Amino acid sequence: MARYGMALDYKNCINCKACEVACKEENGVLLGADKHRIWVGVGEIEGEYPLLSIVSNTFYPSQCQHCDEAPCQMVCPTNATYYGEQGQVRVDPEKCILCSYCMNACPYDARYVDDRTMTVDKCTFCTDTRLERGETTTACQNTCPTKVRIFGDLDDPQSEISELLRTREHFTLKANLGTKPKLFYLT
Amino acid sequence: MIAQIKEFITTIPVKKVSVKDLLSFEKNFANYLVAAFVVVGMAMLVIGVITYLGHGHHAYNVTREHPWGLMIAVYIFFVVSSTGLCIVGSLGDVFGFKDYELISKRAIFGSIVTILAGFLVIAFEIGHPVTMVIYNVVSPGLTSAIWWMGTLYGAYLAFMIVEFIFLLKNDMKMAKYFGLAGLLIGLAAHSNLGSVFGFLNARPISNGVFYPTYFILTAFITGIFIAFIIMGFRYRLRFNEEVKKMLTGLAKIQALLLSILIFFVTWKLLTDIYGGMPDRAEVAIHILGSGTFWAEVILAMVIPLVIILKTGGKAHVALVFASLSGMVGIFFMRYNLVHDTQLKPLQMLKKVEYQLPPEWVHYFPSATEMMISIGGLAFCIAMYWVGTKAFNLDADH
Ligand code: SF4
Ligand code: SF4
Ligand code: SF4
Repeated sequence: MARYGMALDYKNCINCKACEVACKEENGVLLGADKHRIWVGVGEIEGEYPLLSIVSNTFYPSQCQHCDEAPCQMVCPTNATYYGEQGQVRVDPEKCILCSYCMNACPYDARYVDDRTMTVDKCTFCTDTRLERGETTTACQNTCPTKVRIFGDLDDPQSEISELLRTREHFTLKANLGTKPKLFYLT
Repeated sequence: MIAQIKEFITTIPVKKVSVKDLLSFEKNFANYLVAAFVVVGMAMLVIGVITYLGHGHHAYNVTREHPWGLMIAVYIFFVVSSTGLCIVGSLGDVFGFKDYELISKRAIFGSIVTILAGFLVIAFEIGHPVTMVIYNVVSPGLTSAIWWMGTLYGAYLAFMIVEFIFLLKNDMKMAKYFGLAGLLIGLAAHSNLGSVFGFLNARPISNGVFYPTYFILTAFITGIFIAFIIMGFRYRLRFNEEVKKMLTGLAKIQALLLSILIFFVTWKLLTDIYGGMPDRAEVAIHILGSGTFWAEVILAMVIPLVIILKTGGKAHVALVFASLSGMVGIFFMRYNLVHDTQLKPLQMLKKVEYQLPPEWVHYFPSATEMMISIGGLAFCIAMYWVGTKAFNLDADH
């Protein structure tokens, strides 16, 4: 069984936000600033002209980290948040009672409330849409003009993502919390 | 078995209460004030609930960054009160301190109405309360502090009701057993509520052992505040010797508990700030600069403690008023706990998020949240009033 993860060659990101749009389009995420599964963090340029710090101007695409030890799953009183078969962290809207505990427990601010079902929603790695149709890429990855995102099977040593993680240095976010994220930032 | 249960229920000593009984009370300013509050509060509850049913969570000011709002704080306020009253009630009928038997029935009844008020408020905060009841049982999340807290509080309520019935029937032995079980389950439930915050590794300001223990301490303090208020109303501030003796005893316990609380909070803040750990020190300093924190300190800690220490716990009437101030302070304490936990944006590299500059997360309750919260208090007082008419809440001699 596959175990999905994503590597982000984040220094290539140009902040075009095509991934954010593609995600909303593909997965029918509602409009509104609060309602987003993925986002691009922007480090603004620091300093006063002409002493501008170019290195401070960075773009960090991010989303749910599909943690292997997910705090959101641990705190869920009804097991509405569960691990999918390919390691995705998912929410079952049938069981979600909207206690919002997971929103507080997720260290990555990855969750929001879907107003249609009034339950918590988050990135699914396009499980219900693209993967279900047999595709092997996510919407954000597919649309990215600079090929920032590499989605794939971490358990398959031949996969592109495994190859990258073997050959390039990388880090995960808030690694000190022990959540074991499956989103890897390539340096 | 069924016949026995039937007999058990039919022999509960209940007085018949007519509407006329409910509307008859001594005509004085304080009583009118409370009656007016209850009527207005109940009306607010109805309006608040209708607004909520029409607009769902949109009627609340909760957001992605601040998913828990006023109603969670009010829920905590009520269940803390309940646990506290349970502790105070147990002094007499579980631990056998004779002086405190006087208040057992009232305290245990109070613990039932406060937790019901808490459940009422939380039912409108949780998005799907019916789903909760079903899936709490069908697919329990055993690693979830909320699951344990909710389940234990459910059991606690059942034990408190049975204990109360035995108290009414004057069966002290059975009341003691059920009281002890209820107390232990209540303490477990309540420290689990603390752990709902304590387990949040993502929130360094709340994470750790502090809240689960602090919740028990503040519950006891809250219970004593309410005991003063209840007795103040029962005796219209004219206490007899027996009551005075009990109140002085409670005041002395309260002085000790408040001193411990001040000590705890001081060290909590010092450890938070020491070393300037990001996400913790800044938040603690921000808390120190907030008016609601000082409201908590002055109303719930300083005023009651000073009055008790100055008078040796013998100024009973002043202490009833200090307890009212204390309860307002305890409300701020709950509000602060919930709000402060969420103060610091998780940021997550969203250095410039579309909607959120990376400073502090802001929240102010909406009118609907306030109306349902005030309504919860009105509901609680109304139920207590009905109880005073339907049951004999004084100790039998
Ligand atoms: S990033 Fe947040 S929502 Fe995603 S699995 Fe981890 S804790 Fe859960
Ligand atoms: S809001 Fe839903 S998914 Fe999140 S912890 Fe509560 S029940 Fe689980
Ligand atoms: S589509 Fe690619 S380049 Fe554009 S914002 Fe997203 S990650 Fe960055």
